[in-house]
Amino acid sequence: MPVALKQAGWWRALYGLVIGAAFGYGLVVALRAASGLPLIQTEQTGYPQLVVALITGPLGFLWGIGCFDYWLRWIAGGPTVPDDHADHGAKNWKDYFKVNTDHKVIGIQYMVLTFFFFLVGGLAAMGVRAELAQPGTQIVDPNTYNGLFSTHAAFMIFVFIIPMFAGIANYVLPLMIGAPDMAFPRLNALSFWLLPCAGALLMASYFAPGGTFDAGWTGYAPLSTGAPIGQSFFNLAVQFAGASSIATAINFLVTIVTMRAPGMNFWRMPLLVWANLSTSLLVVAATPFIAGVQFMVLFDRVLNTNFFEAAMGGDVISYQHIFWFYSHPAVYIMMLPGFGIISEVISTHARKPVFGYRLMALALIGIVVLSYSVWAHHMFVSGMSSWLRVPMMITTLLIAVPTGIKIFSWLGTLFKGKIHLQSTAMLFSLGFIFTFVIGGISGVMLGMVPLDIHVSDTYFVVAHIHFVLFGGSVFTIFAGLYHWFPKITGRMYDERLGRVHFWMTLAGMLGTFIPMHWIGLEGMPRRVADYSAEFAAWNLEITIASAILGLAQLVFVYNVVVSWKYGPKASANPWRANTIEWLVSSPPPVFNFDEIPRVVGGPYEFGVPGARHAILAGDDKATVEQPKPATVGSVGSST
Amino acid sequence: MESASVTLGHATGDHHHGPPEANKSSKVDQTTLGLLIFLVTEAMLFGAFFASYFFLRVVVNDGPWPPEPYELPVIVAGVNTAILVSSSFSIHWALEGIRRGNRKAATLAMAVTWLLGATFLFIQLNEYIHVGFSARDGAFGSIFYGLTGLHGAHVIVGLILLTIVNVRLWRGHFGPKAEDHRGLELPGIYWHFVDVMWVIVFVTVYIL
Repeated sequence: MPVALKQAGWWRALYGLVIGAAFGYGLVVALRAASGLPLIQTEQTGYPQLVVALITGPLGFLWGIGCFDYWLRWIAGGPTVPDDHADHGAKNWKDYFKVNTDHKVIGIQYMVLTFFFFLVGGLAAMGVRAELAQPGTQIVDPNTYNGLFSTHAAFMIFVFIIPMFAGIANYVLPLMIGAPDMAFPRLNALSFWLLPCAGALLMASYFAPGGTFDAGWTGYAPLSTGAPIGQSFFNLAVQFAGASSIATAINFLVTIVTMRAPGMNFWRMPLLVWANLSTSLLVVAATPFIAGVQFMVLFDRVLNTNFFEAAMGGDVISYQHIFWFYSHPAVYIMMLPGFGIISEVISTHARKPVFGYRLMALALIGIVVLSYSVWAHHMFVSGMSSWLRVPMMITTLLIAVPTGIKIFSWLGTLFKGKIHLQSTAMLFSLGFIFTFVIGGISGVMLGMVPLDIHVSDTYFVVAHIHFVLFGGSVFTIFAGLYHWFPKITGRMYDERLGRVHFWMTLAGMLGTFIPMHWIGLEGMPRRVADYSAEFAAWNLEITIASAILGLAQLVFVYNVVVSWKYGPKASANPWRANTIEWLVSSPPPVFNFDEIPRVVGGPYEFGVPGARHAILAGDDKATVEQPKPATVGSVGSST
Repeated sequence: MESASVTLGHATGDHHHGPPEANKSSKVDQTTLGLLIFLVTEAMLFGAFFASYFFLRVVVNDGPWPPEPYELPVIVAGVNTAILVSSSFSIHWALEGIRRGNRKAATLAMAVTWLLGATFLFIQLNEYIHVGFSARDGAFGSIFYGLTGLHGAHVIVGLILLTIVNVRLWRGHFGPKAEDHRGLELPGIYWHFVDVMWVIVFVTVYIL
């Protein structure tokens, strides 16, 4: 074997991809030959030789890039190379294209890759809006249109929002709890490298015979079980993204439980940590359901099983039940980390302690528990057992209580605070509260059975989901990216461009999604390439607004790229925040800390004289040698 | 295993080149906790198939279950259940053996466990051949093969893990201290999970 193929890297990854795919292909052909079947099956839904190759190919890629090297050596009983940390940190841009076990490098890998998928999904959305600018069929035929909105949602949900939050937390969370890294660094690297596999499968589906998957991101059976081969790409991409998500969640849970700095009990954890704790609980218990149901669809498609074949005793509605048992908690998987980010940003940029900190944490747990009991509110018109409707309606409306607690706590935090409106992170947080309340209220409306029946499958639903996922999740993502940009890159971003980005995004967002409520109430159906002429005026307006929304993201890209390279150097703590990640330099040292910090108080004690959240080893001596007027000891008496 | 080796590496190696040792905020071993959480995930994956089973059998089926003319070999599966459950005891024997420094007992018990697991898998495959219906024969066939096949895949993974444990036992890799036989204990926990899951699958699919 040439040297290039012995060393983990892109050459070996390419080799592994080819060998893996060829192995999968050959395996199916051999098995079919052994069973006396025709060697190649090209039925519209089947293509087993291709489906198996799509599983073994990415696994070969992961082997080649080096995700399994350490484990394979360990399993074989060979000498495992003791970790000399030579691969920690990234010395130049090439290191970001290698398997790296440093949580900070992995965090950046996550954020950049998922943002790329955000742009891809955004392009699909632009395609959708271009087609809808006028009634009739102009740019794409209805089938391509179906593919566009399906890939748009699949990219945004499975390889942008969910992993983007995982990426932000990957970077920030270990620093925040005073840990040198995640609990399982190699598993962490594998979690990341599963994502390009998922994204590549989604993109490759465009080249599949019969076109990309077009059954929507929900992939309802029997639409999905009878769809062309592109649907199998979706099924498998969800498995790869889901495996990544589960592995990360296990990693976060173990890290949070076992690696907190001394003194950081659960009631001293920053809310971002709480948010990722609750998100991870949702992921480990809910994600297997979508894995299971996508397996069943795949079996129905490739092996001709009858899970969803009504004529053979299958149950179509069971798909929706199992799917939504994951996918309703999934909307909280896409929202809770954002809640955590918002708590950090608002408290820091308004110079106020978080109002009702403990209740904020408990509200997160409340949402986790409740979110498992509401899945059927997506199915009021599906023909499910009608006795399920009212209980599901009640639990759905109940979720508004813990969510409302969070909204009011943020408002309480802002109340009489020193609100820094110059800060883009703060602007996005305020924008988030505004848009998320609208999205939350339309969510409560949709939770009510009579209204839901009226607006099912109309643009009202599209408006709601974009208010909570764009106005909610994406705004919090931007708030987080701006807030931690100086920490991650060591440079300040351009606040002026940031504000331009915010106002363009907010205007574009409102212009795009508010009218959708109205045309939805009047009955414009979603997921259809054509519409009645009476909606033409609003649709043209929506398309124009969405173009503003799309262009605004280019401002962000420009700002990030230029600031990362040429921005002014950032100090360790430009926002004067309290949490531990701001105690170390920007960007943090390769191993985060020389010594693990000591936590001495709550994370949000803004305005409390002398209060501190944590002490680094170096600070400790300074405090002892030169006592200042306000020291840690004086907290109790001065408040 | 992995985290343990990372921290041990720092303690013995060059102290200036490496991260500080993480604070232990919990007495729970990291890999054990990670495995337990992973098993929650696994249980939920089975849960998805049990949910499907419930819908197919209770919600949409209105005839006898299993549908005519299929019959399930309850006796054979019952014997098979006994075989798999006994392997849970033998793997516990192996763990107790290594805890007390009795490597012979551990090696023997682990080999017995592997054989019991392989026997279970063999009988299961034999049942597939003789059961008289395939995964394509109605929703009943699909979910029968879905649930037992999902479990069978876990048995295969378990057997691979047990093979590694067996090899490492022969090579004398494990010791009486907790951190020296985690590589035996964790596959053991997984194996117990596979056994418990089988009891639930057996009761649901064959008995109820």
